[in-house]
Amino acid sequence: MEEQTPKKEPQSSFRGLYKNVKISVKTLDKIIIGGIAVIILLLIFGVANNGYTVSFNSKGGTDVASQDCMYADLVAEPEPPTREGYVFSGWYMDENCQYPWDFEISQVGGDMTLYAGWVKCE
Amino acid sequence: MSELKVKKPSKIDELKAMTPKDRNRAIGDLIMNNAMFIIIAIAVVGIAIAEPSFLSVPSIVNIISLTAAKLPIALGVGGCIILAGTDISAGRQVGLAACIAAGLQLTTNKLFPGLPVMPWYVALLAVMAVGAVVGFVNGFCMAKFKLHPFIVTLSTQLIVYGCILLFLKLGTNAGQTLSGMSQTYQDLIKGTLFRVGNTAVPNYVLYSAIITVIVWVIWNKTTFGKNMYAVGSNEEAANVSGVNVTKTIILVFVMAGVLYAITGFMDASRISSVNATTGLNYESDAIAACVIGGISFVGGIGKVSGAIIGVLLLQVIFTGLTYLSVDQNLLFIVKGVIILVACAIDMRKYLVRK
Repeated sequence: MEEQTPKKEPQSSFRGLYKNVKISVKTLDKIIIGGIAVIILLLIFGVANNGYTVSFNSKGGTDVASQDCMYADLVAEPEPPTREGYVFSGWYMDENCQYPWDFEISQVGGDMTLYAGWVKCE
Repeated sequence: MSELKVKKPSKIDELKAMTPKDRNRAIGDLIMNNAMFIIIAIAVVGIAIAEPSFLSVPSIVNIISLTAAKLPIALGVGGCIILAGTDISAGRQVGLAACIAAGLQLTTNKLFPGLPVMPWYVALLAVMAVGAVVGFVNGFCMAKFKLHPFIVTLSTQLIVYGCILLFLKLGTNAGQTLSGMSQTYQDLIKGTLFRVGNTAVPNYVLYSAIITVIVWVIWNKTTFGKNMYAVGSNEEAANVSGVNVTKTIILVFVMAGVLYAITGFMDASRISSVNATTGLNYESDAIAACVIGGISFVGGIGKVSGAIIGVLLLQVIFTGLTYLSVDQNLLFIVKGVIILVACAIDMRKYLVRK
């Protein structure tokens, strides 16, 4: 399999699974320090994250209090707001009320604002 | 090895005798080679400060129990890594063993309608036999055809997964989760070994300890163990000096298969419900634990104590992060980077040693 000459062991080559790896100690140091920096940053990010704020933009209706949620939580459905001359049609993820938010299924993935949808009374 | 032991007491004197430049380099090496331990120690201190209940008795017992549950699979993978190989079918093999063990221990058996609950030793022997067969296939392909272990175990991983899915479709089960195992089996694994304060230590901690001792004896005190290290560090040389390389490789993988089977046997009862995702990604945890514990991918280097330390450290840090309710998705990224850094440290040690 691997040809290992008995006379001299090659100076910087590996055996086993690292057989064809060519890397210097300096590069490895950089990888180790860089990797550890990434781990620390991820941990700090993960630990410092005290949850996300879900705010509600009622777009002219009565105010709805914002909620604090953890990652992957469900949002508790608030009391529907009211607005004179309009009927409330649900909460949407975008201002144009294209994508409805399903309080049963959709999970929180970050800070966000939900927009109220209104249909004009005839 | 013995050389190192003689040196150790005089390490500080040695440092003093060095020129400042050498001293800095030696200290640098020391920090770099132990970077993973340092970072985990800092993380644990941080977690303990943020969440003091992390150091309470129930939490520590929980960490030790989980470590015990994951130790046999790590020891199995460790053997493969010492052979300068690896085994990525480990997790699925644990899953298959868990399914079979659960399947033979169900009180109302939907897999084999009408089958009474088998004695636990029948289930244990059955899963060990299956593990040994899969291990034999892995070892045989690697030893005879010199196939790269990644390729062989990748294919067995998929084959085993297929078998799990087929097994769960047997009878009237239709792929559902298996649960409702016999009380004897539950007590055997999850029964109370002894109590620390009010916290029960489960029986499987004892089984895991026994297995670890057996593996230690096999690795260190038998000819087979010595051959394993010899084949791992230099296959050609081992062959020349009369070691039966093929037999050694096959036996290491068979032993690994049996260890996965035991892990699966314990897991089925420990988790109480078994489905097709049982055992998923176990191998990555086990490989990470081994590399952190100094079982090197270079081959022929590694100790049982290393595997124990590796599994324990990973368990401590991940239990701690769960305590702090860190988002689970992030933990996968952390695990991946930990494996990368552990490999880099592993390579660095090897280069510096030369």
